[in-house]
Amino acid sequence: MLLRYLAFAVSFALLMMGAQGAWAQEKSGTKPGFVLPRGSAKILLIRPTISVGAQSTGGMFEPNADWTAQARDNIAAALALAQTRLGNQVIVAEEPVGPAAQAMADYRALFSVVADSVMRYQFFPGNRLPSKKRKGVFDWTMGPGGAEIARETGADYALFLSNQDQYGSTGRKILQVFAAFAYVSVKSGEHTGMAGLIDLKTGDLVWLNADMAMGGDVRTPQGAKKRVAQLLEDFPGSTPPATPAAE
Amino acid sequence: MKRTLWLGAILLATAQPALASNTLIAAQAPVAVAKSPMTVTPDREWNKMGARPGRNSESWTIDGDGLNEVTFYGGIEPDRTLFREVNKHSTPLPRFSSTMLLTDIPALFEASYRIALNTPVMKIDTVAPTTFLGHKAVQFAFTYSRVDEEVRRRGDAVAAIIDGKLFMITFDAPDVFYYQRDMAAYRAIVARAVIAR
Amino acid sequence: MRGGGWRQVAAVVALLTSQAAQAEPIPTLPPYSGAYQPQGVDERGLWMLVDENERSFRDSTVVINDAPLKAYIQQIMCRMVGAARCQTVRLYIVRDTSFNASMAPNGMMIVHTGLLLRARDEGELAAVLGHEFAHFELRHTLLGFQQGRKAGDIAAWAGVAGAAAWTYGGRNAYDTVRMARSVQNAAIGSTYAHTRNQERQADLLSMAYLRASAYDPHCFPDVWDRLLDKADATAHGRRQRSKRYDRAGFSDNHPTELERTTTLRRLAMAMNKPGEDGKARYDMALAGWRAQWIDDEIKRNDFEGTDYILRQIAGPDWTPDLLFARAELYRTRGHPHDLAAAVGFYRDVVARDPTHAEAYRGLGLAQLRSHDAAGAEALRTYLTMKPAAEDAAMISMLIQ
Repeated sequence: MLLRYLAFAVSFALLMMGAQGAWAQEKSGTKPGFVLPRGSAKILLIRPTISVGAQSTGGMFEPNADWTAQARDNIAAALALAQTRLGNQVIVAEEPVGPAAQAMADYRALFSVVADSVMRYQFFPGNRLPSKKRKGVFDWTMGPGGAEIARETGADYALFLSNQDQYGSTGRKILQVFAAFAYVSVKSGEHTGMAGLIDLKTGDLVWLNADMAMGGDVRTPQGAKKRVAQLLEDFPGSTPPATPAAE
Repeated sequence: MKRTLWLGAILLATAQPALASNTLIAAQAPVAVAKSPMTVTPDREWNKMGARPGRNSESWTIDGDGLNEVTFYGGIEPDRTLFREVNKHSTPLPRFSSTMLLTDIPALFEASYRIALNTPVMKIDTVAPTTFLGHKAVQFAFTYSRVDEEVRRRGDAVAAIIDGKLFMITFDAPDVFYYQRDMAAYRAIVARAVIAR
Repeated sequence: MRGGGWRQVAAVVALLTSQAAQAEPIPTLPPYSGAYQPQGVDERGLWMLVDENERSFRDSTVVINDAPLKAYIQQIMCRMVGAARCQTVRLYIVRDTSFNASMAPNGMMIVHTGLLLRARDEGELAAVLGHEFAHFELRHTLLGFQQGRKAGDIAAWAGVAGAAAWTYGGRNAYDTVRMARSVQNAAIGSTYAHTRNQERQADLLSMAYLRASAYDPHCFPDVWDRLLDKADATAHGRRQRSKRYDRAGFSDNHPTELERTTTLRRLAMAMNKPGEDGKARYDMALAGWRAQWIDDEIKRNDFEGTDYILRQIAGPDWTPDLLFARAELYRTRGHPHDLAAAVGFYRDVVARDPTHAEAYRGLGLAQLRSHDAAGAEALRTYLTMKPAAEDAAMISMLIQ
């Protein structure tokens, strides 16, 4: 009850502050000195959290099973392609059973908290922690125990992904126009994504990308490619060299 | 981790000019906390959160209050709650009382967390006597989860009743990795906590 | 089968709405058409989200996975709605002090321990579970979801910013509990559960189940009566106005509970059917669980509400365990007269059960808090009886 009240109030206030502004921008951070060894890294893809639906005029989220299923398939395909192009091997993490399931759940849960902290206290300009505000600092970790979830996969890194899409309905788009006359900023649709890479040897977060205004319609293969490209923007070593590589 | 996370977000979002931003706490320098005569000297750098959990309390963190949080309660007076009411009308928090024994403090703390975080899965694991601020004190350990996440959280607390007021320092972190790593920093704070006369 | 499902539902709804104004409104129970498959975009979306959450829900810390307890509650369900219907139900028991049960459109039913504690017997529990099943059978959840969306549109146009909250890490188990219990649909920022009419329809259909079952139809009005009494107690303890006789407000979606009890009482009497309440079975099945749930209840800081519940469970027969719980409740609130009362209760406990070590502990603490030095004596007795107690060191320190 409290959370719902506060969440409502925060969203409302964020709207009032305007959708444009630092908060809506993409933000990413990299651990200083981190370099992803091109072509040799094995990356474990943790089951992404994907949610797709429509947003009614009143802002209610209406989940859509077909869209979500499509998005899952498209994003998975686009991810594999993007990573392979970079010469990295992507292993899709299997759903563990028994005690391993607890470890996976623990780390997925912890990742959310860590990423949340990065966004709140390093990316968001209004509320930064002084110790994180210093130039060149990107000091975040999940602890070395995280290697547990990648046991027997031979992976060096784990990629966590979260993606939520709310497509604005016609009603909402119209509301947006009217609201603009009143200088109230109303977002039509929300497209949020975040991607983070963990070094499994140390548990350190070597890279995080968070974007609250993503593009690409994930219901289509092309859109998913664009979305993945954005999610993985500034992915370590992602600038392909100018050598004539085979497509 | 407590409502400071949400409290901070809402206060910030409504852009109240009186809200202080987060400030840096230097290592090895004594500093008074929670607007009280209690003074601590941390062994490493911390960040002090701009948003306070309540009138006589303050929170510090290293990586963000969801990952490691130390909270100071500086002289909670009788008939006061530990932190701000969540919904005074339908879910009022319990209040400290001048007749309370040290053994009542863990129960006060547990009920306060259960109600404020709306979680039934909070447990006091151990209770032991200790000394704190030069007085007889109680030390207790606890585990809980917040409603909106599945992360298991662990914590530790030490509390004394001095001149009829409650002084307490608590530590909160996810059970996975962070609790183990940052316990030492919390213990260092408690060990060097003093109260001015 | 799918089309038949909807025809059945329409038939029942028609019966309920047409008969609402007549003297004998309880419908005859139609044969159950079996498990329903989602149709259309909205339903599939809802199903998917609920299925997704159910996966994480199973492993959640708040879910009680005790097989005998689950089997027992499932059995009550089957005695209430019949074998054909109860097979659709996947039951989860959740540790939460509120009086609540809810059912999602895919057959997942969540029962709170707060409900298990407050129900006096099988019949009362069955009445509430049957009511939730009725919502499920009548597909109210889905209709409510669509209704809610229109209401949301209206609110937005009226200038109220109904922004949907967004979450970082995605869904998790406890979201399911709140989702299921507050609205039974997937919209994050959504508002209300069912309309008042839907509640009336569900009440009527549950009476139909009750009539076809072995249970006493009076259980349904009984449980609501005591819910009202308990709410009165809570309000009294907090010096707030009781909501008992208030007319249903704008945001209040149950027909005024008093009106509801009156209607149900009248229906039960007209039915004139004997039945069992299963109290003996219920007391036995829950014997090992009540202590934990009462403890959760005491920690809610609702003194009079909890005292009321304890008195209801005890009836005329206070067992040492229930007396002990009452003593703990009084000692927790800790006003001077509470402490005196607690001392009396603890003394009663040890008089009837001299081996109850915790009662000596409570007695000693209550006395010490009242500045009665005799407390040290009682605590010494406790330590003698339980030298390896968790808090032995702490208690020792108190009596030095």
